[in-house]
Amino acid sequence: MPISQAQFLRSNLILLAGAGIALLVIVIAAFWLTRASERQFDEVVAFRETRSATADLLSLAQDAETGQRGYLLSRDAAYLRPYTDAIARFEPTLQRLKASAGAAELAQAEVSRLEGALRGKLTELAQTIAVAERGAWDDALATVRQGSGRNLMDDVRVGLGSIIAQSEQRLQRAIAGQETASTRLRWTITLGALVIILFAAAAFWTIVRYTREIIAARSEVTALNIGLEQRVQQRTEALTRANEEIQRFAYIVTHDLRAPLVNIMGFTSELEATAAPIKAYFDAGEAATPAALEEARIAVDADLPEAISFIRSSTRKMDGLINAILKISREGKRVLRAEAIDLPAALQAAAAAVHHQASENGDGITVESPPLKIRSDRLSIEQIFGNLLDNAIKYRSPKRELKVVMRAKREKSGWVVIEVEDNGRGIAPTDHERIFELFRRSGAQDKPGEGIGLAHVRTIVRNLGGDITVSSELDAGTTFSILLPPDLSAVQRSTAT
Amino acid sequence: MSNAKPVSIVMIEDDEGHARLIEKNIRRAGVNNEIIPFQNGTDALAFLFGADGAGEASSRRQLLILLDLNLPDMAGVDILEKVKANQHTRRSPVIVLTTTDDSREIQRCYDLGANVYITKPVDYEGFANAIKQLGLFFSVMQVPETE
Repeated sequence: MPISQAQFLRSNLILLAGAGIALLVIVIAAFWLTRASERQFDEVVAFRETRSATADLLSLAQDAETGQRGYLLSRDAAYLRPYTDAIARFEPTLQRLKASAGAAELAQAEVSRLEGALRGKLTELAQTIAVAERGAWDDALATVRQGSGRNLMDDVRVGLGSIIAQSEQRLQRAIAGQETASTRLRWTITLGALVIILFAAAAFWTIVRYTREIIAARSEVTALNIGLEQRVQQRTEALTRANEEIQRFAYIVTHDLRAPLVNIMGFTSELEATAAPIKAYFDAGEAATPAALEEARIAVDADLPEAISFIRSSTRKMDGLINAILKISREGKRVLRAEAIDLPAALQAAAAAVHHQASENGDGITVESPPLKIRSDRLSIEQIFGNLLDNAIKYRSPKRELKVVMRAKREKSGWVVIEVEDNGRGIAPTDHERIFELFRRSGAQDKPGEGIGLAHVRTIVRNLGGDITVSSELDAGTTFSILLPPDLSAVQRSTAT
Repeated sequence: MSNAKPVSIVMIEDDEGHARLIEKNIRRAGVNNEIIPFQNGTDALAFLFGADGAGEASSRRQLLILLDLNLPDMAGVDILEKVKANQHTRRSPVIVLTTTDDSREIQRCYDLGANVYITKPVDYEGFANAIKQLGLFFSVMQVPETE
């Protein structure tokens, strides 16, 4: 099915729009998934921060405890260093934890419980150190031994551990989420790309097909152009031929009609002339000489009937000519009806109609044809072959048994050639064109006929869009070749336009 | 036609009526030579050239040919061509007497060697006159003996 230009534009637009939509989907999906991934990344960062701040706090608490214990045991202020360092860094680290825990949306209760435990521990440490600084070392150690500091420290450891565990869990979840998002993104991009490639392939295919069609159409136009010139030439030739035929026809008609007319006028004058001796004889009455009587007798007995018979035969001839012309002209006007014709069967039927005239045993006419169908006018086909077979029988050679072969075959062009070959008396080369002319006959005029048959056949064949030619050798036989188009309606269409 | 041998007029005319009218009018002009009528070309050629078509048959004859161009079985022009091409008949005068007044046809006949071309007038008076004058012309015309 050929693509029209509008169709081509529409389908290409649809494909383009499809590819655009796919691209848009990819972009939106990528954007959305990237945003999700970013959010999850922020979470991951926050959890990491929480975890690190928590670990730092634990470490600070331990440092502070270590410093307190070292100081209490050694009673050396130098051992207090880790403690003072840890205290100094404690507040900022706690703030870090709070901030990151807020960002990571961890339970605030956990954080505040941990803060309480830490502050309790730090207060216990500060108290023991303050006691020790006052010189009451044993009191301070006793406080430590009491174990409240250790308990607080355990609380801190549990709290921190729980936060770390919690944030670890959330971290794992965030990482998993990020992985899912990136997998989704990958799939979206892959699918989208696939869709775009499909659309592009479809568009490419459409363009290739359309281009091919354009190329095919162009070469067809070129071929038609060349064919057109040829057709114009053929038509011109046909027109020239038809024109020559019309001139020839007009010439023949005027000549053939004029000939009997001259006779009629001539013998009318002769008739008038015969009246003179008769009148003279009657006018003389009794005084008429025997010579005058003889002249009058000749006029009445010979001249008068002769003139009348010529006038009569000439009028009959004119009537016949006019009827023949009418017949031919009617044939030209008859409306042809194209129908499917089984050609071998039609030829057989034409042969069967004249078998008894052709030969005694009925094998004088044979048909050689493959199964062949044409669309043409049935009556015309019957008339063509009826006429040709009549001629073959009429002009058979007395020297041999009549043999007629009707051969049909299809040409490469689709046209059909039917040959009617006989072994009759043949036609002289000078008469090969004349036989198709109206009122003209060839050879010895020993058979009745008016010279209409072949003129009629040619008119019919030309009306069917075909042509008839003859090849013949005197005393050997004649072959008429009829070329017919496969479909009459196509011919009628092309001549109508 | 004062020759010792009588001149025969070969009249090739397919129309019987025309043949009769021509004969009547030639006779009226006082021409009493033998008129041999043929209604078709085949018979006329058989007479002029004999059965073998060599033309030997016309040897030593004095012939004057009256030829109609429109014959049922062949073109009169072909007969003219044959007559003028054959050594035995080429000197015989050929008078083309036909209904055609087509100038190309007239030229062609003279080209082929026709001696006179006459168009048959349609009105009978003209026709009769033309034939009578032709008859008078015959009476003063010299016709050579054929080879």
